[in-house]
Amino acid sequence: MGREVSESCVESLLTEMVSSYCTRFYADKPDLAARRIEAIGYQVGHQLSERYTMERPRFSDHLEAIKFICKDFWSELFKKQIDNLKTNHRGTFVLQDNKFRWLSRMSVDPSPENTGSAQDPSTDENKAAQATSMHLYFPCGIIRGALSNLGIPCAVSADISNLPACSFVVRIKA
Amino acid sequence: MQFFGGSEISPLPPLPTASGNNAHMMYVFNRNGVCLLYREWNRPLRTLNAQQDHKLMFGLLFSLKSLTAKMDPTSVEKGNLGVPQLPGQGCSFHSFRTNTYKLSFMESPSGIKIILVTHPGTGDLRESLKYIYNLYVEYVVKNPLYSPGTPFRSELFDKALDQYVRGLG
Repeated sequence: MGREVSESCVESLLTEMVSSYCTRFYADKPDLAARRIEAIGYQVGHQLSERYTMERPRFSDHLEAIKFICKDFWSELFKKQIDNLKTNHRGTFVLQDNKFRWLSRMSVDPSPENTGSAQDPSTDENKAAQATSMHLYFPCGIIRGALSNLGIPCAVSADISNLPACSFVVRIKA
Repeated sequence: MQFFGGSEISPLPPLPTASGNNAHMMYVFNRNGVCLLYREWNRPLRTLNAQQDHKLMFGLLFSLKSLTAKMDPTSVEKGNLGVPQLPGQGCSFHSFRTNTYKLSFMESPSGIKIILVTHPGTGDLRESLKYIYNLYVEYVVKNPLYSPGTPFRSELFDKALDQYVRGLG
């Protein structure tokens, strides 16, 4: 695996992907856009996990697979490991990354651009949260695709209540 | 597929020689004259309103650039004015100084112009302006929520910028 890609290229590509799906392809249907982006992430995660587990034996249980995602898989993708892993021992895992690389430069414009309508701060925050969460469907899909390739069907969602830390909640389907 | 690259901003900033708030204000314009950012740290005198101020500044720099290139006595062959050039290539104006302030200027090949107004004793700020341009690229251009060509306000950029400007000598 000697070929490398510029990080700026990849980040610009991801930004443009989210922007295209949200504003051009599924402009009025954010749920469909989210599903489509997540599906792309699923394919990517599927193939990446194939690559990164080439020389390894099979995982003995779910926890081992999740630990692989937290350490080796995350290091290959983001040059760092997951900072915190929590579980309720009943099929739910929370992977916390304290400085998620793809969100590290995200910053919302605080100045009020809309002067006509009476905008209260809560709607501005909602719009900001929505815009940010659109960019998280792709990594959620990656995790879901990687785990499903390891034989673990699951559902993954993201939690951005304290940026720049980002938590991914993995719920394993029984 | 392997992702690489550190998260450091390069080039490294020049070491600050004095502490304290040295800069008065900063403008960032794009190629079309849209003022993308105006930051002010210390400006007791204000003669025009904001719109006129920005237009005057942009017009002034445009004229100054053409003037300095046309009056250049050294180069034998003059390329086309308006062709993008790296900062320092060709004949590029980079600062002027009055008895009360110094204005430093840098234009990137993409037409982004950065203007920094500081107190007159300030040295050559060309490296500093390059560093500020790097901050702009890292925190604004790479921000997924920014649409190019519009005025921006980014907390990350503001924080990094304030920290850096405080250290300018």
